[in-house]
Amino acid sequence: MELFLQRLFDGLSQGSVYSLIALGLVIIYRGTGHLNFAQGEMALFCTYVVYQCGEWGIPLGIALPIGMLVGFVMGATVEVTLIRPIAKKSQFAVFIVTLGLFQFLNWLDGAIWKDQPLPNSGVGSSQQSFPSLFPNKPDDFVNVFGAAIKIQSIGVFALVIVLTGLLFLLFNRTKLGLSMNAVASNAESAKLVGIRTNLVLMMSWGIAAAIGALGGVVFAGINSNVNLGLMFSVFIYASAAATLGGFDSPGGAVLGGLIIGVIENMAAGYSDEWIGQELKVGVALVVILVVLLVKPSGLFGTAKVERV
Amino acid sequence: MKTIATIKSGGTASWAIRLVTAAVVVYLMFWIPTSASNGMIDSCITALTLMAAAMSLNLLLGYTGLISIGHSAFFGIGAYTTGILVSRYGWSPFQTLAVAFVIAFVVGALVSLPALRIKGVYLALVTLALGLVFPQLVKAQKLEWLTGGARGLDKTGFRFTKDNPTYEIFGWNPWGSLRGENVKPFHYWIAMIIVIGVYLVCRGVVKSRAGRSMIAIRDNETAAAVMGVNLAITKALVFGLSAALCALPGSLSAIRTGNVTPDSTNITVQGAITFLIVMVVGGAGSLWGPIIGAGLFVFITELTGDWSDPDQIPGIIRPLFSWSNTPPGSGIFAILLIVLMFVAPFGIVGMWRRLVARFVTVTPRPAGTGTIESVVSAPAEA
Amino acid sequence: MSILHARQLSAGYGPVTVLHDIELVVEEGEIVVILGANGAGKTTTMRAVSGTIPRQGSVELNGHDITKLSPDAIVRQGVAQVPQGRGTFPELSVHDNLRAGAITRHDGSAAVAADMERWYGQFPRLAERKDQRAGSLSGGEQQMLAIARALMSRPKLLLCDEPSLGLAPLITQELFAVIERLNKEEGLSVLLVEQNANLAMHMASRVYLLETGRIVAEGSAEELSADDTIRKAYLGF
Repeated sequence: MELFLQRLFDGLSQGSVYSLIALGLVIIYRGTGHLNFAQGEMALFCTYVVYQCGEWGIPLGIALPIGMLVGFVMGATVEVTLIRPIAKKSQFAVFIVTLGLFQFLNWLDGAIWKDQPLPNSGVGSSQQSFPSLFPNKPDDFVNVFGAAIKIQSIGVFALVIVLTGLLFLLFNRTKLGLSMNAVASNAESAKLVGIRTNLVLMMSWGIAAAIGALGGVVFAGINSNVNLGLMFSVFIYASAAATLGGFDSPGGAVLGGLIIGVIENMAAGYSDEWIGQELKVGVALVVILVVLLVKPSGLFGTAKVERV
Repeated sequence: MKTIATIKSGGTASWAIRLVTAAVVVYLMFWIPTSASNGMIDSCITALTLMAAAMSLNLLLGYTGLISIGHSAFFGIGAYTTGILVSRYGWSPFQTLAVAFVIAFVVGALVSLPALRIKGVYLALVTLALGLVFPQLVKAQKLEWLTGGARGLDKTGFRFTKDNPTYEIFGWNPWGSLRGENVKPFHYWIAMIIVIGVYLVCRGVVKSRAGRSMIAIRDNETAAAVMGVNLAITKALVFGLSAALCALPGSLSAIRTGNVTPDSTNITVQGAITFLIVMVVGGAGSLWGPIIGAGLFVFITELTGDWSDPDQIPGIIRPLFSWSNTPPGSGIFAILLIVLMFVAPFGIVGMWRRLVARFVTVTPRPAGTGTIESVVSAPAEA
Repeated sequence: MSILHARQLSAGYGPVTVLHDIELVVEEGEIVVILGANGAGKTTTMRAVSGTIPRQGSVELNGHDITKLSPDAIVRQGVAQVPQGRGTFPELSVHDNLRAGAITRHDGSAAVAADMERWYGQFPRLAERKDQRAGSLSGGEQQMLAIARALMSRPKLLLCDEPSLGLAPLITQELFAVIERLNKEEGLSVLLVEQNANLAMHMASRVYLLETGRIVAEGSAEELSADDTIRKAYLGF
């Protein structure tokens, strides 16, 4: 029971990170139908910015908003300068450009923050220690039904719940949220009711990247370090989460992320023999495959209604 | 634009151009192993490896419109098949190529089964996950007896010793003793033969009836199905073939380096992304695209390889890159990729064709006298 | 000054020009109907006016040039459009569709809510289905929703692209009655494209007859129906 609760909370905090990155993926996908392959690397860049702020003596409480702001500006800029013009050519071109962006950002992070290249270095061979948003000293535990749960896990989970609440308000109570929903549903008609679709798309990318930045900082905090390969696996888990929840459903992305986090930790924990730590990433592959084959629109996604 | 020349396809001028091109290519092919420095031969082998991998991916993405960001897994299958058979079971490296080919074909065809239902970016996700799983799989403790776990395998190439100093082809020995550095030209020729083989297979497939089915699927899947293309079988075969061809450079890398580790770049997802990027930069959907893209990639990487030391950067551009802690090769190439997508979506080959078309008119042969050159058109929507 | 004045308006798709130099006027408080057969360029005219396709010539709204404006900016100038095929937001609820219609307004949520009640009153079927997804409505209900949504922006000019398309005659009549009432009671100016001459002519202040991208006749409904050749060739009664 204790072990179960521990794994559950570990899974939830891990899953919270997937939720955050998946949220970014979904917010962008809803607007334009593009899958942003650079989402993880954009988040990583912001995480490094936050790290750099720490090096300059700026406290994390201020560095985090700075990182998210950098993310917002980067996301918005990428949409305006790269994605919008290339989207006129083809979906495929957008895919390649996000992949190029992935490659570029990964290099840029290394160029700025990698200390010295190690011989035969794979990814993430150099890493910097990173502070956690929540207390994570060895004795920072609370006792829940006899299980020692890390305060950090609870904090991260709570953070995601609060953020989800805020996003819910954004989507359901504000004009920007309504505009984003309208653009997601029918971009042509959105223009015809006077919505500035270009602005909405720019904002979507900005918000997505800012949320991603938060995800990156949280994840680096959980791992206590930031390195060049940090977001590789997170991205695929987040994609699995978005696929599971439905690529056009923000709520689904959050829930999907949490579910994946829990499945991953339970699978690795209870089936150490067969899955263990190494093959955890296989969970993502299996989830993506099963969802796509059984219910391609995901748990909460809408299969688009087309009426003539 | 003024046309400065008109060339009749199949005419004398056309043949002369082909002959000169072929002569230059063949000359270089022989010049490199005999006269170039060992370092350069090494770079060339790296480039050849990448060329074969990118060509295999081109068959899938460039011609059939199926996206894969997991081809590193097939590269890995090749490397590990060769590695395991050579180091654990004492096979001769050449024999393992066929086994690697078959295994990768089967795995590729199996992977394609979901691809029959999944389209575009979702397929990209599935293959990406595959690419991430593969290195973890070979690292798994359960498989350590076979794959060597995180350490990988060694002694996976030819071992030339005092007793066995060379490799003879039916008693013919063109290279002399292969111990030490002499082995490079030998590896070069293996790489070259693999590249030529992969090229010929791709060319044969693309220009055949099957190739037209693939292009039809890429351009309009529904229309292709209506015209009688069997989507399921075509996709499965192309996926299998593409995977099998990608396993060959994988085997080559095991033979060449003499070891296989799960962290070597081409086996990780970074490798799959590299294959994809060089293919698109060179020109997706053209036979020479991946070759040119891979060559350029290795050239840029080698050129900038020591630029993390600012003193090595040529003077004029030093301020541009002197801040970088890592060699800027992959960054430069990423920028090149993005820029090319804006100005020349069909890569360098596409740009070249457009340039040639401005100045030279190629008049096709009269209908019915030969095969029609495949028309380059937009890759299918992702 | 007329509310809408298009001069030498040409438009098309890619290399194909569909609309050739047409002149189009809607006076304040008029219902202007554009009639024409399939492929005459009716929808293209609408798109050219609303800015959703590239166009040449000039379009003026209340004397202001709107030729260079983007479609969303034109809407914000007071031109609401009911596109062909309704163009509702299928994943959004009926209520949210109406909210989206009012997105350009800045006169406070109370005024918006009041308007919403008003259109729910006009279209009781929408009120019943307030929380349903728009995609689940019937064709007629979606058409009503599209019109109500357009009206939520309090337009000076309403563009309607073939509202009768795919609707049963009774529902079309109901719809036209609503448009006519709004025109009479609120002075709403309407530019309406129709294939169904019979129904639309009744409420038209003026009619344009479009053929292969050119205006071939123009006048009041009475004038056009009085002309035997026009009646036989174009109006079909």
